[in-house]
This record gives sequence, structure tokens and C-alpha cells, in this order.
Amino acid sequence: MNLAKKSATACLLAIATHLCSAQTPTTPAQISAAQKSTAATPTLPASPFNRTTVLLDPAHGGSDSGSRISDSILEKDITLALAFKLRSLLAARGFTVVMTRDSDAATQADTPNPLTLDDRAGIANRAHPAACLLLHATAAGNGVHIYRSELEPIPNEVNGTSWLTAQAAWVTQSEKLQKLLGQALTRARVPLVLSRASVRPVDSLTCPALVVELAPKGSDSSSLTNESYQQHVAGAIAAALVFWQNQAQPPVRLAPLPTTPTPKKGVQP
Amino acid sequence: MISRHQRIVFWCLVGCILAMGTLLFVERQRARDRIVALADATPLDAPYSTTESVTLDLANDSDGSITATTRPIALPGEVTARARALLEHLLAEYALPGSPHPLQSGAAVDDVFLLPLPLVGHSGGTTAATSTLIASNDPNALQPQNPGGELAVINLRSSFVNAHPSGVEVESLTLMSIIGTLHTNLPQIEQIRFLVDGQPRETLAGHADLLRTYPSKDTTARAETSVAP
Ligand SMILES: [Zn+2]
Repeated sequence: MNLAKKSATACLLAIATHLCSAQTPTTPAQISAAQKSTAATPTLPASPFNRTTVLLDPAHGGSDSGSRISDSILEKDITLALAFKLRSLLAARGFTVVMTRDSDAATQADTPNPLTLDDRAGIANRAHPAACLLLHATAAGNGVHIYRSELEPIPNEVNGTSWLTAQAAWVTQSEKLQKLLGQALTRARVPLVLSRASVRPVDSLTCPALVVELAPKGSDSSSLTNESYQQHVAGAIAAALVFWQNQAQPPVRLAPLPTTPTPKKGVQP
Repeated sequence: MISRHQRIVFWCLVGCILAMGTLLFVERQRARDRIVALADATPLDAPYSTTESVTLDLANDSDGSITATTRPIALPGEVTARARALLEHLLAEYALPGSPHPLQSGAAVDDVFLLPLPLVGHSGGTTAATSTLIASNDPNALQPQNPGGELAVINLRSSFVNAHPSGVEVESLTLMSIIGTLHTNLPQIEQIRFLVDGQPRETLAGHADLLRTYPSKDTTARAETSVAP
């Protein structure tokens, strides 16, 4: 009786296992179209590039207060204060500064709608600036953290690239700008972290773009609101941008590749 | 007429028969219980192996670094349970006093799902939110680099995510620490996605992107330079 029951269970198990393994997909990965030669691709005239324009994006604003640094200190206020300091320093050095917001609330032009991250990227891309700095602040770590996109660099800008990977052609430039800012801040004896991160909307920017995060001077997070600390960091960044305006080199633009029919993946019910 | 001693012998034998019968019955009962106990293989606890030396990629906020550190940890053998236990051990490290990357204590990972790549038969979900879970603009996303490559979907608890400190560095260090630890210990994982309470969420705590698919890779020593204050 018991034996019969057991063998029946074993049979059922065997059948179930067989069914499961039969469902495992066995289709091989479809290999994406091979990299095409770009020799025959016509280059487009370079897009406008304003060497003396810098875009500053004081992150957050309005109902998005960003990181809560303490009960009375909000990230959105620090990013705006740092942006104002940078703007006056850069303006004094002959730069045109475009800001995504210059008051607490970040709204779309002439409407009360809050500014989305994509809207901010749009403002940046239309300005064709020599540098885009997305300003953040945090209570974690110390000094200044500078991040570039995690996208793999591509040599040329292909007209009609995806919104989410538009930065890829500019990553090499962003990396050079990151090094330059790093050197300037090191000279200013500010502790530094240089790395890569996925923070929207950096991947959609068509300019040398960096996320600049201001962290406390030491372990005391109230130093974030310290005027002289902010001024010190802004001064080092502004000095680096003066060097940068002559080094920046926009990538070559290529006409779009002839569209190849992509194999349809998966079953679309 | 039966003699008296014959009667005594008879009753003695009857007594012996009854005693042996009882003994037999009791022993049979015991033997049956023993066999039932052996046959009952219901897993009550995950089968933990003995303690092994496991590499955890630990983050440090002060210099933005990620350092591989070995810890003696007992992990279950089954791969999804192993991935989950690995992440719980990793995130518990950050809740210890004096942690260089302090995070709140408590359970952080609800589930880890491992899906074989390429994902086939997927489609947009009933809502835009669920379709963004799978949909990707990159044609190479969700394709395996090697046969047997897997996508790990890490379902974080909202209690962990809501209490996570906010900042570009601190958030991306948490993700890089998770990605690096999975990469080191479970090489079959090639791509990693995150959910929070089963739902896609835009960012971890306002900055690090939680909607994209992360390639599983070595994330140690990512910060390129840093100077002492
Ligand atoms: Zn921020």
C-alpha cells in the first residue's frame, strides 16, 4: 500500500520535472546586427556649441525637497545657494550661465507645472553649453562627489540616437571635464570622490555633463550651509571651467544609419 | 482429572504468550513510528551548508570606495535562497555600529528571482508600470553574454528603501555593493533589476536610478581618486 503510494508520487514528480524542463526556453540568443562600417556615413555639420555657456541645474526644488539633511536644512536650498555662487563667479569670468531654476519652485516656462527631469535635460540640450553641472547635496560622506554617466562611450554622435543614451557620444568629454574639476578641487584641498553613477537625467544630456554633489566639509553636516565652504568649492569649479572652455571638443555628428529591420523578439499577444 | 502442576504450567504458558504478544505489538508500533519519521522529508529549514568564506563587496562613504572583504557565513545551497541570504548578510553589515556606510537595520530583501536569459514571451503588462519592468530600449539588454546567463530581479522591501539615506554617492554605493557581491558569488547572474515591494520605482532615495537594468560586474575600487581632508 505504502509502496504503491510512494511509486505513484515518484512517477508524478518525474512527470512534473520533465514538463518543467520542456518549458525552459532553448532558443539561442539573437545576435544583434554587427557593427556597421561608418566610413560611408556622411558627417553632418557640427551642432552649435557655445564655449562660453555653462548650464547649472540646482537639483530638486518646490515639492521635491531632495535629501533631508537636517530638520532645518533641505538639499534643494543648498543646491540653489551653490548655483547662485557659481553663477556670479562664472558671469564675472565672461560665461553665460543658464539655470534650470532660479527660485525654489522649478516650473515649466509660463506654466505652474513642475519641471520634470526630462524638462531639465531639454533646457540643457537646447543651450548647447560647454558644460552641464547637475548640482546635488548630501549629508553622507564628505567633500565633493563628482559623477559622470555610466554609459559606454561611443566615438561619434549619431543623429537620432535614443533619448536615454544621448550622453554616450559625450562621455569621453565628460570624463575629461571630470578630471579637470577633480584636479582643481584637489588643489583647493577639498576631499574628492570621482566615479560613475546612474542618476537621471545625465544620460539624456548632449553636453559634457557631470553630477556634482556637495557633501559636508568634515563630519558636521551643517557645514553644507556654510557660505565660505560653498564659496570655496564654487571658486575651484569656476577656475576649472575657465580652463575647460578652450579644451572642450564636441563629438563629430554622423547622419543616421540606414534603418535595419530588427528581428522581432518574443511573442506579443 | 488434570493435575495441579499441569494447570500451573498451562497458565504460565498463557501468561508468556500474552507477554510476548504485547512486546511484539509495542515493538511493531515503535518500528513503524521510526520508519514514518525517516520517510517524512518535509523541509522545515533551508539546508544550510557549513560556514564558508564568502566575499562581500563593502562600501565606504568617506572615500566612495568598494572593498572586497571575506566573511565566514553559512549560506543555503539553493541558488535563489543563497542570493537572498547573501544580500541580507551584506546589508546587515551596514547596520552594525560604526559602519562606514550606515544603513538602517531590518530585513531589506523580500525576494530574489533568477530568470534565464534571454527573456522570451514577455510583453507589456496591463499597466505602464509593469511593462517598464521588462521593456528596454537597448537591443542587447536581456540577452545573455554566455549560455546559462541569468537576470536577477531583486525585490527590496519598502521599509528598507524608505529609510535609505538620500544622496548620489550613498545610493549608488548601495547598488554597486549589491551588484558587486552578486557578481563575485553568483557568476551566472549577468544582469540585475530592482523592484520595491514588487513594483518598479524610479529611484532608491531620490537619486540612483532603479528602473534601469544593471550589468553584473566587478564594482570594487570604483572611486578613482580621493584625497584625505
Ligand atoms: Zn539630490
